[in-house]
Amino acid sequence: MPRTQTKFFGDIDYHADSVFHFPSGLPGFEDHRDFVFLHVPQSEPLMFLQSLSNRNLCFVLLPILVVDPHYRLNLTSEELFELDLPVEREPLIGEDILCATLICVAQGEVPTANLMAPVVVNLRKHIGTQVIHGDSGYSHQQPLVCEQAAHSCS
Amino acid sequence: MWRRPGESLVVGESIEIEVIEARPNRVKLGVVAPDSVSIVRKETRIIREENMTAAWSIDHGAIASLLRRFPR
Repeated sequence: MPRTQTKFFGDIDYHADSVFHFPSGLPGFEDHRDFVFLHVPQSEPLMFLQSLSNRNLCFVLLPILVVDPHYRLNLTSEELFELDLPVEREPLIGEDILCATLICVAQGEVPTANLMAPVVVNLRKHIGTQVIHGDSGYSHQQPLVCEQAAHSCS
Repeated sequence: MWRRPGESLVVGESIEIEVIEARPNRVKLGVVAPDSVSIVRKETRIIREENMTAAWSIDHGAIASLLRRFPR
Protein backbone atom coordinates (compact mmCIF):
# COMPACT_ATOMS: atom_id res chain seq x y z
CA MET A 1 0.00 0.00 0.00
CA PRO A 2 1.52 3.37 -0.97
CA ARG A 3 2.37 5.81 1.75
CA THR A 4 2.41 9.61 1.66
CA GLN A 5 3.28 12.51 3.89
CA THR A 6 0.43 14.86 4.74
CA LYS A 7 0.33 18.46 5.87
CA PHE A 8 -1.76 17.92 8.98
CA PHE A 9 -1.84 14.24 9.87
CA GLY A 10 1.67 12.85 9.50
CA ASP A 11 2.37 9.89 7.24
CA ILE A 12 -0.59 7.89 6.00
CA ASP A 13 -1.17 4.80 3.91
CA TYR A 14 -3.68 5.07 1.12
CA HIS A 15 -5.23 2.76 -1.42
CA ALA A 16 -4.05 3.36 -4.97
CA ASP A 17 -7.68 3.25 -6.08
CA SER A 18 -8.59 6.11 -3.74
CA VAL A 19 -6.54 8.59 -5.75
CA PHE A 20 -8.42 11.35 -7.58
CA HIS A 21 -6.86 12.67 -10.75
CA PHE A 22 -7.32 16.34 -11.67
CA PRO A 23 -6.22 16.52 -15.33
CA SER A 24 -5.81 20.31 -15.18
CA GLY A 25 -4.89 20.61 -11.52
CA LEU A 26 -6.57 23.53 -9.76
CA PRO A 27 -6.03 27.18 -10.79
CA GLY A 28 -2.78 28.26 -9.18
CA PHE A 29 -1.73 24.63 -8.70
CA GLU A 30 -1.83 23.30 -12.24
CA ASP A 31 1.14 20.98 -11.67
CA HIS A 32 -0.59 19.07 -8.88
CA ARG A 33 -2.73 16.44 -10.51
CA ASP A 34 -3.18 13.64 -8.00
CA PHE A 35 -4.91 14.00 -4.66
CA VAL A 36 -6.48 11.88 -1.95
CA PHE A 37 -9.32 12.82 0.34
CA LEU A 38 -8.26 12.16 3.91
CA HIS A 39 -10.93 10.68 6.12
CA VAL A 40 -10.63 12.16 9.57
CA PRO A 41 -13.74 11.22 11.55
CA GLN A 42 -13.02 13.65 14.38
CA SER A 43 -12.85 16.53 11.90
CA GLU A 44 -16.11 15.92 10.09
CA PRO A 45 -17.72 17.62 8.27
CA LEU A 46 -14.39 19.12 7.13
CA MET A 47 -12.72 17.36 4.24
CA PHE A 48 -9.03 17.37 3.40
CA LEU A 49 -7.80 17.22 -0.18
CA GLN A 50 -4.15 16.25 0.12
CA SER A 51 -1.76 16.57 -2.82
CA LEU A 52 0.33 13.49 -3.46
CA SER A 53 3.12 15.57 -5.01
CA ASN A 54 3.59 18.14 -2.24
CA ARG A 55 2.94 17.30 1.38
CA ASN A 56 2.42 20.99 2.19
CA LEU A 57 -0.48 21.31 -0.19
CA CYS A 58 -3.70 20.29 1.48
CA PHE A 59 -6.98 22.05 0.83
CA VAL A 60 -9.66 22.14 3.48
CA LEU A 61 -13.19 21.82 2.14
CA LEU A 62 -16.79 21.44 3.21
CA PRO A 63 -19.47 19.54 1.33
CA ILE A 64 -21.25 22.24 -0.62
CA LEU A 65 -24.65 21.22 0.74
CA VAL A 66 -23.39 21.73 4.29
CA VAL A 67 -22.60 25.34 3.44
CA ASP A 68 -25.72 25.90 1.33
CA PRO A 69 -28.39 23.17 1.41
CA HIS A 70 -30.05 24.77 -1.61
CA TYR A 71 -26.92 25.06 -3.74
CA ARG A 72 -27.57 24.71 -7.45
CA LEU A 73 -24.71 23.21 -9.43
CA ASN A 74 -25.32 23.59 -13.13
CA LEU A 75 -22.50 21.83 -14.93
CA THR A 76 -22.00 22.76 -18.56
CA SER A 77 -21.74 20.07 -21.21
CA GLU A 78 -18.01 20.84 -21.45
CA GLU A 79 -17.61 20.25 -17.71
CA LEU A 80 -19.62 17.02 -17.85
CA PHE A 81 -17.37 15.86 -20.67
CA GLU A 82 -14.24 16.84 -18.76
CA LEU A 83 -15.47 14.80 -15.78
CA ASP A 84 -16.44 11.88 -18.02
CA LEU A 85 -20.06 12.14 -16.86
CA PRO A 86 -23.08 11.38 -19.04
CA VAL A 87 -24.32 14.58 -20.68
CA GLU A 88 -27.95 13.49 -20.97
CA ARG A 89 -28.81 13.88 -17.30
CA GLU A 90 -27.78 16.00 -14.34
CA PRO A 91 -25.40 14.15 -12.00
CA LEU A 92 -26.54 13.64 -8.42
CA ILE A 93 -24.41 15.10 -5.67
CA GLY A 94 -23.42 12.32 -3.28
CA GLU A 95 -24.17 9.59 -5.79
CA ASP A 96 -22.47 10.41 -9.09
CA ILE A 97 -20.34 13.28 -7.94
CA LEU A 98 -18.88 14.86 -4.87
CA CYS A 99 -19.16 18.62 -4.76
CA ALA A 100 -17.24 20.56 -2.14
CA THR A 101 -16.19 24.12 -1.53
CA LEU A 102 -12.69 25.29 -0.68
CA ILE A 103 -12.43 27.03 2.67
CA CYS A 104 -10.23 30.07 3.16
CA VAL A 105 -9.24 31.30 6.60
CA ALA A 106 -7.44 34.61 6.24
CA GLN A 107 -5.97 35.71 9.53
CA GLY A 108 -8.38 37.56 11.78
CA GLU A 109 -11.22 37.31 9.33
CA VAL A 110 -14.38 35.25 9.12
CA PRO A 111 -13.68 32.03 7.19
CA THR A 112 -15.10 32.03 3.71
CA ALA A 113 -16.25 29.39 1.26
CA ASN A 114 -15.67 29.59 -2.47
CA LEU A 115 -19.13 28.85 -3.82
CA MET A 116 -18.32 30.32 -7.23
CA ALA A 117 -15.76 27.63 -7.94
CA PRO A 118 -16.55 24.31 -6.25
CA VAL A 119 -14.39 21.22 -6.57
CA VAL A 120 -16.35 18.51 -8.36
CA VAL A 121 -15.22 14.90 -8.65
CA ASN A 122 -16.69 11.97 -10.51
CA LEU A 123 -17.02 9.37 -7.77
CA ARG A 124 -16.94 6.43 -10.19
CA LYS A 125 -14.13 7.52 -12.49
CA HIS A 126 -12.10 9.37 -9.85
CA ILE A 127 -11.64 12.42 -12.06
CA GLY A 128 -11.80 15.88 -10.56
CA THR A 129 -11.88 19.50 -11.55
CA GLN A 130 -12.61 22.89 -10.09
CA VAL A 131 -15.45 24.42 -12.06
CA ILE A 132 -15.59 28.20 -12.25
CA HIS A 133 -19.09 29.60 -12.54
CA GLY A 134 -18.48 33.33 -12.66
CA ASP A 135 -22.04 34.06 -13.73
CA SER A 136 -23.74 31.82 -11.17
CA GLY A 137 -24.40 34.61 -8.70
CA TYR A 138 -22.43 32.73 -6.03
CA SER A 139 -19.54 34.44 -4.25
CA HIS A 140 -15.95 33.20 -4.19
CA GLN A 141 -15.76 34.55 -0.63
CA GLN A 142 -19.02 33.55 1.01
CA PRO A 143 -18.69 34.17 4.77
CA LEU A 144 -19.30 30.98 6.72
CA VAL A 145 -22.23 31.90 8.87
CA CYS A 146 -23.01 29.66 11.75
CA GLU A 147 -26.33 27.91 11.38
CA GLN A 148 -25.77 25.76 14.43
CA ALA A 149 -26.67 26.74 17.98
CA ALA A 150 -25.29 30.16 18.79
CA HIS A 151 -23.13 28.92 21.67
CA SER A 152 -21.11 26.76 19.30
CA CYS A 153 -19.92 29.80 17.35
CA SER A 154 -16.56 31.16 18.32
CA MET B 1 -16.82 49.78 -29.79
CA TRP B 2 -19.19 47.52 -31.68
CA ARG B 3 -18.05 44.39 -33.50
CA ARG B 4 -19.82 41.73 -35.54
CA PRO B 5 -18.91 38.03 -35.74
CA GLY B 6 -15.88 37.70 -37.97
CA GLU B 7 -14.58 41.12 -37.01
CA SER B 8 -11.58 41.71 -34.80
CA LEU B 9 -9.87 44.25 -32.68
CA VAL B 10 -6.16 44.60 -32.15
CA VAL B 11 -4.44 45.38 -28.85
CA GLY B 12 -0.94 46.80 -29.22
CA GLU B 13 1.23 45.30 -31.93
CA SER B 14 0.76 41.60 -31.39
CA ILE B 15 -2.60 40.76 -29.84
CA GLU B 16 -5.71 40.19 -31.91
CA ILE B 17 -9.16 39.37 -30.54
CA GLU B 18 -11.81 38.11 -32.92
CA VAL B 19 -15.52 37.71 -32.32
CA ILE B 20 -16.21 34.23 -33.65
CA GLU B 21 -19.82 33.79 -32.65
CA ALA B 22 -22.37 35.96 -30.88
CA ARG B 23 -25.36 34.59 -29.02
CA PRO B 24 -27.96 36.53 -27.05
CA ASN B 25 -26.12 36.16 -23.77
CA ARG B 26 -22.59 35.14 -24.66
CA VAL B 27 -19.94 35.50 -27.29
CA LYS B 28 -17.18 33.20 -28.44
CA LEU B 29 -13.84 34.94 -28.81
CA GLY B 30 -10.63 33.90 -30.50
CA VAL B 31 -7.39 35.41 -29.30
CA VAL B 32 -4.06 35.48 -31.12
CA ALA B 33 -1.19 36.49 -28.87
CA PRO B 34 2.48 35.70 -28.27
CA ASP B 35 3.25 32.64 -26.13
CA SER B 36 4.49 34.92 -23.38
CA VAL B 37 1.03 36.40 -22.92
CA SER B 38 -1.22 34.49 -20.55
CA ILE B 39 -4.88 34.42 -21.57
CA VAL B 40 -7.39 33.34 -18.96
CA ARG B 41 -10.90 34.29 -18.04
CA LYS B 42 -10.94 37.02 -15.40
CA GLU B 43 -12.71 34.77 -12.93
CA THR B 44 -9.97 32.16 -13.35
CA ARG B 45 -7.43 34.72 -12.19
CA ILE B 46 -9.61 35.57 -9.18
CA ILE B 47 -10.02 31.89 -8.32
CA ARG B 48 -6.29 31.28 -8.69
CA GLU B 49 -5.59 33.95 -6.06
CA GLU B 50 -8.35 32.61 -3.83
CA ASN B 51 -6.93 29.08 -4.12
CA MET B 52 -3.48 30.32 -3.14
CA THR B 53 -4.88 31.99 -0.05
CA ALA B 54 -6.97 28.93 0.76
CA ALA B 55 -3.98 26.62 0.45
CA TRP B 56 -1.50 28.61 2.47
CA SER B 57 -3.73 30.23 5.11
CA ILE B 58 -4.96 27.12 6.85
CA ASP B 59 -3.11 25.67 9.79
CA HIS B 60 -4.05 23.49 12.76
CA GLY B 61 -5.44 26.50 14.63
CA ALA B 62 -7.68 27.42 11.73
CA ILE B 63 -8.96 23.85 11.54
CA ALA B 64 -9.82 23.88 15.25
CA SER B 65 -11.64 27.16 14.82
CA LEU B 66 -13.58 25.80 11.82
CA LEU B 67 -14.62 22.77 13.82
CA ARG B 68 -16.06 25.02 16.50
CA ARG B 69 -18.19 26.63 13.79
CA PHE B 70 -19.29 23.32 12.36
CA PRO B 71 -19.64 20.92 15.26
CA ARG B 72 -20.52 17.37 14.37
